[in-house]
Order: sequence, then C-alpha cells, then structure tokens
Amino acid sequence: MQLDLTTFILEVLNFLVLVWLLKRFLYKPVLSVLDARQQRIQGEMRKAAVLQEDAARLKQQYEARLADWNTEREIAKQSLEQELARERDTGMKAIQQSLADEEAKNRVRAASAIATREAELVRNATSGAYRNAAAMLRRMASPAMTLAILNILLDDLASLSEKRQEELHKAAHPENVTTMEVVAAHALEESAQRKLGDAVAKVCGKPLQATFKTDTSLIAGLRISLGESVLHANLADELGYFRSQDKNV
Amino acid sequence: MNGNEAAMAWHLGSLVISETVLTTWGIMLLVTLLAWLMTRRLGDNPSRKQTIAEMIVVAMESAVADVIPAERVRSIMPFVASLWIFVLVANLSGLIPGLHAPTGDLSTTAALAVLVFLSTHWYGIRAKGWRKYFRHYTEPSIILTPFHIISELTRTLALAIRLFGNMMSLEMAALLVLLIAGFLVPVPLLMLHVIEAMVQAYIFGILALIYIAGAMEPNEDEVASSKV
Repeated sequence: MQLDLTTFILEVLNFLVLVWLLKRFLYKPVLSVLDARQQRIQGEMRKAAVLQEDAARLKQQYEARLADWNTEREIAKQSLEQELARERDTGMKAIQQSLADEEAKNRVRAASAIATREAELVRNATSGAYRNAAAMLRRMASPAMTLAILNILLDDLASLSEKRQEELHKAAHPENVTTMEVVAAHALEESAQRKLGDAVAKVCGKPLQATFKTDTSLIAGLRISLGESVLHANLADELGYFRSQDKNV
Repeated sequence: MNGNEAAMAWHLGSLVISETVLTTWGIMLLVTLLAWLMTRRLGDNPSRKQTIAEMIVVAMESAVADVIPAERVRSIMPFVASLWIFVLVANLSGLIPGLHAPTGDLSTTAALAVLVFLSTHWYGIRAKGWRKYFRHYTEPSIILTPFHIISELTRTLALAIRLFGNMMSLEMAALLVLLIAGFLVPVPLLMLHVIEAMVQAYIFGILALIYIAGAMEPNEDEVASSKV
C-alpha cells in the first residue's frame, strides 16, 4: 500500500478525460434522444390536449345543436299535432255537418215520404169515401131528392147576393144567349120546370127558352148551363167539387 | 505496488507509467468504445443497444435526481455516473487473469476520492456561491469549523481507503486461496468478487452523490427564511 504521485495525477486526469469521453459519447447523445423524445411526447400530448379540447368543444356544439334540433323537432311536432287536431276538428265538423245535413235530408225525405204516403192514403180514403158516398147516394137518390134540391136551388136563387145576380145577369145578357140547358138526374114535372124557368128569368132579367134533359150520373139534382155560366145543383157535381177541394188541400 | 508490479510499468521518458494507469487507459478505451458503439445510431425506434444505453443512463439519472435538485441533475450526473461506470469496470477488471483492478491501487482510489472532494466544493460553490458555501462551515457555531474540516478530510480518506481495502483484500484473498488450494477453488470467491465489485461501485458513487448533495443544501438561515 503506497501512493504513487505520478499514478495519482494520471488517474485524476484519466478520470476527468473519461468523464469528458462518456459525456461526449454516452450521456449527451442518449439524453439528447431522450429529450427529443420527451419533447415529441409533450408535443403530442399538447396536440392531443388541443384535439381533446376541440373534440370537447365540437361535442358541446353538437350537443347544443342536437338540443336545438330536438327543440325544433318538438315545436314542429307540436305544430303538426295542432294542425292535425285542427284538420281533425274541421274534418269532424264537416262530417258531422254532412251527417246532420244527410240526417235532415233523410228526415225531410222520410217526412215527405210519410206525407206522400199519408196524402196517398188520404186520397185513397177520400176517393173511397166519395165512391162509397156516391154509391150510397145513388141508392138513396130519387125524384123526390131531385125535387128537394130544386127547391133549395129556387130558394138560393131567390136569396142570391147582388154580386152573384150581376154575374148571372151578365152571363145571360148577350143577344145570342136565349136558351138555357137544364140537365136533371130525374125528369122534372112541368110545374117544377116552370118554377125553375121563372126563377132564372127573374135573376137574369130576361126570359130564356129552357131545354130539359135527364142524366142519371148526376145522382140527384140538376145542372143548368146558361151561356158561359153553369149552375151546379146536383150531388155528383157537389161530390166532384168536394173531391177537387180535398185534392187542392 | 510491489517490485513485480513496478517491473511491469512502462517508462515514457522520465515518466513512469504504472500498470494501474495502463489498465485504466484500457478501461477508458473499452468504456468509450462501448459507449460509442451503443450510441452511434440513435433513432426514434430504439434498437436493443440503444434501449440498453437509454436504460443505463436513465437509471443513473433517476438515481441522481432522487438526491439532487432537478435543475442541477444534468450538470452533476456525468461525474457521478462516470464514477459508477469506472469504479464498476475497474473493480471487475480484476477478474481478468493477469490484470489487477485499478481500484486495488491506493493511487487510483485516492485520485477518485480527491476528485470527489474537489467536486463537492465545486458544485457547492456553483450552486450557492462562495460566501454561502463556506458559511456552512461555521454553522451552527464557528467552533465546529475544525470538525467540519476534519470531517471533510476523513470522509475523503475513508472513501479512498474503503474502496482500496475492499478490492485489494478480495484480490489478495483470491490469490492466497489460489496458491493454497488450487486452480478452481477460488471460483466462489471470484463470484463474491463480482458482487463486491458492484456493491463497492454503488457505494462509492452514492457517497459521492450524497456529499455533493450535502454541499448544495441550503444553509440554516436560508431554511429558516424559506419556512417563514
């Protein structure tokens, strides 16, 4: 164990040279590579952070946009639902109106049909009634009934209103009217013919030549044709008149 | 050195180059060559050699960073790492037949210890400045200054003697066993030599690192002001 000064100094120098050599050939290159790698990693991390921030921002934007879209969609949906409700209400009202109109039409149609039917029934009943009445009156008809009707006519002529008398007067007044035709259901006796001629002449204001005919279709009574006027005083014409009045009703 | 070792020294004019120095040069050449081979083609896709080189450098830098403030790591790491590498290779070189470990020579260990001693002051002064650095010799009291100085010297001496004693004793033990027992008997002892070489290299480097870190520690008044 001894300390050699030369070796000591050379070892000091050797180690210092070794430090320089290792620094030159080992530490510096390796640390440079590691630093570059670290910087690259940090750069990548920064880029990643920026990308992450961008991604987060984009995500936020997309979420906001999505929320807006959802809101718009909800609004559009509500609007559409309201429009559909309006359309449905309108359609329902139209359908209800149409149904009401149709119902009213059907009601009117039914009422009309019922009325028609009733009228037809009434007409049939009236016609039957008149037929029955006519048949019954034909069986009851007799010269006495004709004479009774003549007497009623004579009474009526005697108590005829002035307006009616004026009309008969005008009907008999023309020069060419000189006759009158009397159709009776039963043949009239001469006295009856004379009473009738007198009563008519009195009403018309001039004597008329009367021609008497018999027509059993009149059932009972008589019909007097005077110029353009006709005086109905028989059951058949009365029934016909009543029937025509029923039809008008 | 004994007489045989002295006979193996080279004479370069009046300068005597001992075997220790020659071995050290060989180690320097080997280490530099290996470093150059491992780092000549560094790239983004590291090869196996690059990976090993990175692993070694990162491990040593991490060990330094555990003790030294981060901003000083890059300046101190080459010195401490070179200590680890050189002492380890120098310790292991004793296993090669015909070679003696340079660390088995007190001149080498003393040189390394003196370098550690000087580097401690160098890094301490660079980190804190002259005034603050030398003021810590007066802390906590100026009475303790001689003890600080004695401590510095003795720890440097211990650093040199510890490494020298361990490596020399191992080589000597192996030589004695070889002389007494025979050719293959010292093999287990040589295995112990490997472990001892690594342990001593680590201890030498870590002690140097701790001394440097201690020199860079803030003074008591700086610590008090930083607490306030």
